[in-house]
Amino acid sequence: MPSFLVRSASRARTLLELLQHLLKRRRFFMIPLVLVLLLAGVLLLLSEGLSYVAPFVYTIF
Amino acid sequence: MAAILGISGLYHDAAAALVIDGQVVAAIQEERLSRIKNDPSLPRLAVAACLRQGGIRAEDLSAVLFYESPYRKLERVLHWLLQAYPASARHFSKALSAQLGEKLWVLDQVAELVGVPRARVRPTSHHLSHAASAFLVSPYQDAAILTVDGVGEDVTTALYRGTGTRIEPLLSLPYPHSLGLLYAAITAYLGFEVNEGEHKVMGLAALGQPRYRQEFERLIQLHADGSFELAARYFSYEAGGELGFSPALEQLLGPRRTPGTPWALETSEADRRYADVAATLQSVTEDALLELARRAKRETGADALCLAGGVALNAVANRRLLREAGFAHVFVQPAAGDAGGALGAALLGAVEAGDGRPPPLAHVALGEPIKVDEARALAHHLGLSAEQLTDPAASVCELLLQGGIVGVCNGAFEWGPRALGQRSLLALPGSLATRERLNRVIKQREPFRPFAPAVLRERAAEFFSDAPNDLTPFMTSVCDVRPLHRQALAGVTHADGTARVQTVNATAQGLLPAVLSGLERATGVPIALNTSLNGPGEPIVAHATDALAFLSAHAIDGLVIEDYLFRRRS
Repeated sequence: MPSFLVRSASRARTLLELLQHLLKRRRFFMIPLVLVLLLAGVLLLLSEGLSYVAPFVYTIF
Repeated sequence: MAAILGISGLYHDAAAALVIDGQVVAAIQEERLSRIKNDPSLPRLAVAACLRQGGIRAEDLSAVLFYESPYRKLERVLHWLLQAYPASARHFSKALSAQLGEKLWVLDQVAELVGVPRARVRPTSHHLSHAASAFLVSPYQDAAILTVDGVGEDVTTALYRGTGTRIEPLLSLPYPHSLGLLYAAITAYLGFEVNEGEHKVMGLAALGQPRYRQEFERLIQLHADGSFELAARYFSYEAGGELGFSPALEQLLGPRRTPGTPWALETSEADRRYADVAATLQSVTEDALLELARRAKRETGADALCLAGGVALNAVANRRLLREAGFAHVFVQPAAGDAGGALGAALLGAVEAGDGRPPPLAHVALGEPIKVDEARALAHHLGLSAEQLTDPAASVCELLLQGGIVGVCNGAFEWGPRALGQRSLLALPGSLATRERLNRVIKQREPFRPFAPAVLRERAAEFFSDAPNDLTPFMTSVCDVRPLHRQALAGVTHADGTARVQTVNATAQGLLPAVLSGLERATGVPIALNTSLNGPGEPIVAHATDALAFLSAHAIDGLVIEDYLFRRRS
């Protein structure tokens, strides 16, 4: 299993490639949409593992 | 040395293919190894098997190509979810969590699975992978390439011109106007499993009459330029419907068939209606493909046509394209569905690396070889008899001539959905009783499903019209059985007088050519019934354990693995 750092770099590369793709295809409106959805996903994931994040998520949604 | 790995997966039919120095070294579907039919996961086992076959390690790979772009796919899903809102509202979270939670990150997962740096993994495009999988292993240097499937990224159908190693896009049709999705929706309507039951619909079509053309004109509009449009109200793709069709389809064609109900075509009016629906679908699909192929001919002027994509597995339609589209030659890559994308992706990588294209595909034994020692050890534990043979082909012939059904395993297992002699069940081609035994007892299939003949190439024309051609070595087309021989070939002749022929070179590798020659010497007819070595709902056998499990579970008359005959003790 690759280290956390390697996996994070790999995910960052994917995000960058996605961004480049959406820019190239001129789908500008999708960029904030995807970023917000991904951020929400990360928060929901964190809230499952870290109970102290849950109230923060609750205030957003 | 450029070693390129191609990968398909995360939808259905996961596969891996390895190309080293421009040569196809291995191509393996995950289902063969995982034993999960149409395995949709990433091809972990197939990747490992490809590396073993190539004798290389992951770090030796120059590049790993995934067969489609996750970014274009996400874009299409988002686009359609927004466009179909509010109908899509209840599917929004499910669709997006699948995309953003897993599929978007497929290239990272591939890097981890293979064990290469992420920088070596890159995507290609779905239809380009299909096009490369057909053209770059075809016998042609110049050809029109048509790819037709359900959907790949945001495209359902594409036309390319292939010249040497260059593949130039000419036109494409956008989602959701898709012959593959139309076929899938009617497959579900007829009570079959989507992505699995389409060939059953094709078999059923031969027993019906295409008397629903008027109704189908409301489902799909065919245009003279080869394009077509589906009427959205009869389908439910945008909203992510589970069945692929909406209640409007049932209002148009009548109630759908209940899955799993036994077929009674001779006595049930309803089942005859379903056969007519299948026949109409088949005829409309053929017409649409024919218009597309004629457009391809007009656009390219090429003499040859290469086909890929799931719809290219429609052997009946392929015969019509060969006869009527104006091309002198037609070739279909045998793993034409999504699994084939892995091969195409690997070949694209090889061409990019300057390795050129491989020689034309001569056989599909691109999997792992069977190990007879493993089989012997296992047979001992299972209490099966094992007998070493001096002439395996002669022994197979002897069993067949006694009316037996014999499994054969030799060499590496096949690439694609057809058993072409490496993992086959063989029988004599003339007996309807044998066909019934195979269909009802061993394979437990619908009674209307046909079996295919394997015939020595040099005598194929004597028994089948249109054979041999570039499709017949891989069983990707049907031929008419000549009327004079239909009785003698009753076990392999379908209701419409056709058969999905496999022509076999007498000099080809494996046991099958020698078996066919042996049958020719004994009966004058160099033909055997050839069906896949697998039980109901199972992938085709890969290794010795699968083969002996099959023998233990099914009443066949013997299983020949390389030079050993295994049998159940009576």
